[in-house]
Amino acid sequence: MLLGPGVVWYLGIAAFLFATGAFGVLVRRNPLIVLLSLEIMLNGANLALIAFSRHAGNGAGQIFALSVMAVAAAEVCVGLGLVVAIHRRRLALDVDALSELRG
Amino acid sequence: MIAGAWLCLIAPLAGTVLILLGGTRIPRRAAAWISTISVFVAFAGAVWSFFGLRANASHDAHISTAYTWLAAGSFKVPMQVLVDPLSTMMMLIVSGVGALIVLYSIGYMDGDDEERRYFAYMSLFVFSMLMLVEGGNLLLLLVGWGLVGLSSYLLIGFWHERPSAVAAAKKAFIMNAFGDATMALALFVLIAHGSSLGYSESFATASHLSQTTVNLVALGLLGGAVAKSAQIPLQTWLPDAMEGPTPVSALIHAATMVTAGVYLIARTHPIFEDAPTIALVAAGLGAATLLMAGLIALVQTDIKRVIAYSTMSQIGYMFMAVGVGAYANGMFHLMTHAFFKALLFMTAGLVIHAIADEQDIRKLRGVGKLMPLTKWAFLLGALALVGIPAFSGFFSKDPILAADLHDHWYGVVFWLCGLVGAFLTGLYTFRLYFIVFPGEPSAFVREHLHLHHGKEGPWTMLVPVGVLTVLAVLGGWIQFQPFWEPITHWLAPVVPTEPAAVATNWDDAITSLIAPILGALGITVAWAIYGKKQLLAVPKIPWLQRLLEHKFYFDEAYDWAFYRPAVATATLWRRDFEEPIVLTAGSDLGEGTLELGEQTQRIQTGLLRTYVFFLGAGMAVIAVVFLLVR
Repeated sequence: MLLGPGVVWYLGIAAFLFATGAFGVLVRRNPLIVLLSLEIMLNGANLALIAFSRHAGNGAGQIFALSVMAVAAAEVCVGLGLVVAIHRRRLALDVDALSELRG
Repeated sequence: MIAGAWLCLIAPLAGTVLILLGGTRIPRRAAAWISTISVFVAFAGAVWSFFGLRANASHDAHISTAYTWLAAGSFKVPMQVLVDPLSTMMMLIVSGVGALIVLYSIGYMDGDDEERRYFAYMSLFVFSMLMLVEGGNLLLLLVGWGLVGLSSYLLIGFWHERPSAVAAAKKAFIMNAFGDATMALALFVLIAHGSSLGYSESFATASHLSQTTVNLVALGLLGGAVAKSAQIPLQTWLPDAMEGPTPVSALIHAATMVTAGVYLIARTHPIFEDAPTIALVAAGLGAATLLMAGLIALVQTDIKRVIAYSTMSQIGYMFMAVGVGAYANGMFHLMTHAFFKALLFMTAGLVIHAIADEQDIRKLRGVGKLMPLTKWAFLLGALALVGIPAFSGFFSKDPILAADLHDHWYGVVFWLCGLVGAFLTGLYTFRLYFIVFPGEPSAFVREHLHLHHGKEGPWTMLVPVGVLTVLAVLGGWIQFQPFWEPITHWLAPVVPTEPAAVATNWDDAITSLIAPILGALGITVAWAIYGKKQLLAVPKIPWLQRLLEHKFYFDEAYDWAFYRPAVATATLWRRDFEEPIVLTAGSDLGEGTLELGEQTQRIQTGLLRTYVFFLGAGMAVIAVVFLLVR
């Protein structure tokens, strides 16, 4: 059972968070900000999972959200490690400049 | 007796294998002697079987089966040899004349670069020919048939550095392969209607077939016979086959292989008797060939080609005999022809050998004065060929004509053809003789003739020529129809002469009177034109001469009918299909793949943000599609 506002509101906020994050990933060039925006997207998704979980009265969604958080923490570790490695090699902190995989 | 037949078959094969395995470890002379001895052993085996069979009063056929060679369900082909009067006679001719000619080859091929190869082929040929005549069923006959074609091909093209020899070998092989194919088709029909290819079973099968089917079978067999025996319309390969060494021409293209067609028709005579129309076609083809070859021989200038056309002409006589059912007469002529034609080729070989391989008769004038023995041997062989009484051709050729005379109205036509042929034989044979042998030697001959230590050839060449001269002169006395006929009686259990082809004494008498007179007339005309006095000029008929020099335009016709359309079709396909499509397909495929790769690699921008954008866009599209489809 869901108390308070309906599930649509939660989903709206989740969509807003996700869109904000996606926008950040698309337009920002600083890898730190990109990672940050990724976290916001994940959190948007988490919010949607939890909202559905409560709406359906099923705990599985909440377990999913916890796993996503754990994965996100690990991912941030890797991402930050990469940022530190880039910085150590005195490269520009700019994702557009890191385009050596261009065909 | 059976052991003799197996020995006869195996010995030449063993000779081939020994020479092949020996390779360069054995001296050339040893290879030559291995081959010669192997064929002499085969002859001994043949004599053994002959006496074994003669001791047996009934002269029955004896079949000895070694093992089952092929088995497919109920259809079985055993490896077997057949000893009956017909096969024994052929064994004696093949191995006897073969042994003499291989012995002759020792002298003729002395000093050639590849003597071992030559003698291995010669033994292989004798083995194949014996396989053909001894094989106990039609399939083994076909195996021998194909193998003699192969040996003939190998030996015609023996001097493989000469393009003309290679071309001649290919021509012979292709024409013979055509005959092999028609024979194989005939055998397929027999297999389809029966379960065995043994002779008696096959004849039983054939006798139950419908008239059309049995005609087809006979026609297929006739196709093989015509191709192997160089009769119209598959005759053009034989003159070209003279590119081979002269002993090969003597053995394969005169004495044995080319007469295999006659043997085939005699051997499968029940099938031809069931298909009388086809038998008549065989006789007709023989009559046409004997006239045509006789005419062409009049204008040839190559000593071997004249004799080759004479061979075609004489085989025409044999076809005429077996076509009307006078099998024994055909086989008898086959035998005497083997003697005198091998002799003619071998004397020609003596001349060619002594005179630096020159074969143009216009350059060889007056050889006889320097080579008297050769001249006499050739003269005796020529008299036998023309059929002058007391020489062998007289005893064997005239009964063929007599047998034809007795057989309906077309028999009379054949008889007349044969008589004209007798005149032509006298004319072309003695044209050759008078041009080449008598008279003063020409400058060319004086310059180039090199005798062998003062003799006309080494003993290995002279002895076979001597033996064959005796056989060519006396060999005909074996049978003198109608006074004594041992060959007809000997063959009667296997190939009885058809009643319609039994000549009356009157037929024999009139033929034996007219044919030698015509032959002698031919000799006289040849003497008047080409003799010393030159009483007559060579008649000038330009169109006829052109026709004969082009051999009745058969080669040109085949060129137009088969060669050119094939080449034109091939050129068309090459130009319109292979070059634009097939040849470019591979590179087009490769280039297309490369191009595709170059285009797709532009998607990989290396910019993280475009990847994300396309990922998101893709997700959005999928979401919209799911929503719509639901």
